[in-house]
Amino acid sequence: MTLEQITIRGARIEDLGPIMRLEQNNFGTDSWSEATMRDELVANHTHYLVAAIVDQVTGTESVVGFGGLSKHGSHDQSDIQTVAVAEDMRGKGIGRRLMNQLVGIARDLDARMVFLEVRADNTPAQNLYDSMGFKVIDTRHNYYQPDGVDARIMCLELPANIKHEPIVLGIESSCDETGIGIVRGGTLLANVISSSMELHARFGGVVPEVAARAHLEALQPTLHKALAEAKISLQEVDAIAVANGPGLAGALMVGVGAAKALAVGLGKPIYAVNHLVGHVGADVLERGEVEVPTIALLVSGGHTSLLLVRDLLDDVVLLGETIDDAAGEAFDKVARLLGLPYPGGPEIDRVAANGDPKAIRFPRGLTLPKDMEKHRYDFSFSGLKTAVARWVEVAQDKGEDFSIEDVAASFREAVVDVLVTKAVNACLDNNVPRLLLGGGVVANRRLREVAAAKCEANGIELRIPAFNLCTDNGAMIAALGAQLVMAGRAPSSLSFGADSTLPVTTVQTL
Amino acid sequence: MTGFMLAIDTTAGTSVALLSRGSVLSEVRYDNGMKHAELIGDAIAQVFAKVELEPQVVDVVAVGRGPALFTGLRVGIAAGVMLAEAVGARLMGVVSHDALALETYSNRLDLADGRILVVTDARRGEIYWALYDGIDAHGIPVRVAGPAVGKHDQVTAALAEYGQFTEVTGGASAHWVARLAEAQLMAGLETDEVSALYLRAPDAVEPKPNQMFGKRVSG
Repeated sequence: MTLEQITIRGARIEDLGPIMRLEQNNFGTDSWSEATMRDELVANHTHYLVAAIVDQVTGTESVVGFGGLSKHGSHDQSDIQTVAVAEDMRGKGIGRRLMNQLVGIARDLDARMVFLEVRADNTPAQNLYDSMGFKVIDTRHNYYQPDGVDARIMCLELPANIKHEPIVLGIESSCDETGIGIVRGGTLLANVISSSMELHARFGGVVPEVAARAHLEALQPTLHKALAEAKISLQEVDAIAVANGPGLAGALMVGVGAAKALAVGLGKPIYAVNHLVGHVGADVLERGEVEVPTIALLVSGGHTSLLLVRDLLDDVVLLGETIDDAAGEAFDKVARLLGLPYPGGPEIDRVAANGDPKAIRFPRGLTLPKDMEKHRYDFSFSGLKTAVARWVEVAQDKGEDFSIEDVAASFREAVVDVLVTKAVNACLDNNVPRLLLGGGVVANRRLREVAAAKCEANGIELRIPAFNLCTDNGAMIAALGAQLVMAGRAPSSLSFGADSTLPVTTVQTL
Repeated sequence: MTGFMLAIDTTAGTSVALLSRGSVLSEVRYDNGMKHAELIGDAIAQVFAKVELEPQVVDVVAVGRGPALFTGLRVGIAAGVMLAEAVGARLMGVVSHDALALETYSNRLDLADGRILVVTDARRGEIYWALYDGIDAHGIPVRVAGPAVGKHDQVTAALAEYGQFTEVTGGASAHWVARLAEAQLMAGLETDEVSALYLRAPDAVEPKPNQMFGKRVSG
């Protein structure tokens, strides 16, 4: 799997050549001259960035986008001078990343307003600016010649002083935990989790309708507990964050409806954030930041995902995920097979402690060379689960005594082996010296042990947040929301929905 | 008598109304029977924006508890619960079919004192229903049976003992949830119960213990 490593960095005069090629390809008759562009790049009042792809083998760079901002000394106004992305690289969020960084520079220079002009016929660009909170303030007719196209003048007002450490309340309802967390900037104030796990026990797995009903019942008591724990009143909250996906649709909708009403009722902005990226954001609460780049392995009853995070807010890529059962689901199903109660993870862990992990060699899903070509970072646990069932069947049919402890230990070893091996591969392949674990299965003792050993052997720093920040929780959603607020991001509109398959590339739904 | 009441009902479309001293000041109603989670925030914001009031004016939040299809129903109740928290308002719940009955009696003078069967679609070939026998002295519909869920023909047959009734259907709206809630408050008959009226257990089957997976290939 090749990944386009796109980095954004300050432009240098050596970038003039590639920038001019992009300029001419993109703007044709509207292009600036090379002399003008050179002046722009070197001027004191301008700030130019380029987006570049780095070839992972040769390390050579090619410029695929650029943008510039102008801000004169003491003025509180600044202008986006230009933004361009190579035609074959559009639709990948590069323009948004350039714009977000340019606006960030304007904010750091104490600008209160950012202006730009956009061709009236450039709908994708206008949509981008709209979503960032830019408003059309004027139209200049026939501004772009010779085409005679109008220019729309747009302006973004930056808040006078973004609170250094905003209080954000986060709501999580993507699966069977109703989580409400409260943070102040990167500091945890409250993390209350109400789980409906017991209600699912007799079904052997999470029943979506049961989970959704439990969320509705849990909302009010969980909120009250969170406010009491944080020792604040709702009126002190600066923003609401909510996980709007991925997860169970009906469950997510309870959180979304609740969060929107809170935001409107309090007159505060709302941030719809990605549940999986929230797991990564949890690390902010323990370390003050998420050190990037990092690989994140998120393992729960609903997800088994490997993420490459180069920037928590702007650059999260899904390397791979399970193609069938989630790892936690496999634990539940095998536990049931062995006559152990739900949830299976802790039970298997308990029984496996007295077993031999090498007693039975169960298959490691998607690790054969032919599978690794297509599924290097993907997981499959369905075959493993079936292999355990067959093994037990055969033993029973032969009337053999077998050790449940050995089966549990060998099964757990197979799951942990694949999880850790693939995660470490992802670190090594991408030259990322960090691995962050998240999700409820992180409670598994063997997973922690093997991850620690393999990371140490490969010079990889391992991060495992405290368990109540690993399992689904509202604090991680609040933490990610607070990062968005502090980066000056525009809030989400009130019209976002729950998206059960929200991709990790969408950190915030606008 | 309340100052301001906000009513929410998501049993059919997404519907929000703001009421003050017996009159509806503003209402927003999306008849789309889906997208409740998408629409609820804008709907609440709009009822205040239309009359240039802040949500903090609200003293009472009333929500329609159904019965209705679960997913949408929950969005409205969740929003009502949290809105009440946000503005420090009192929370009350009404049966959405009662609101539909009140709307019917108020608009259909021909049915003035007659019995009506309020029916809404429950999918799977079933209906949510409730039977009413006119309006009482407080202006509250008198529910004599239901709410319940069942097959239409079986429900009708089982209700024969109540004599003649006219069947009505429709989608409940926050407007009539608000009017009903107001009448209940005036009469001291309100309830703070806002649990969803699902009337059906979740679809879930308990597995057999020690269940094996797939077909046996050995033995």
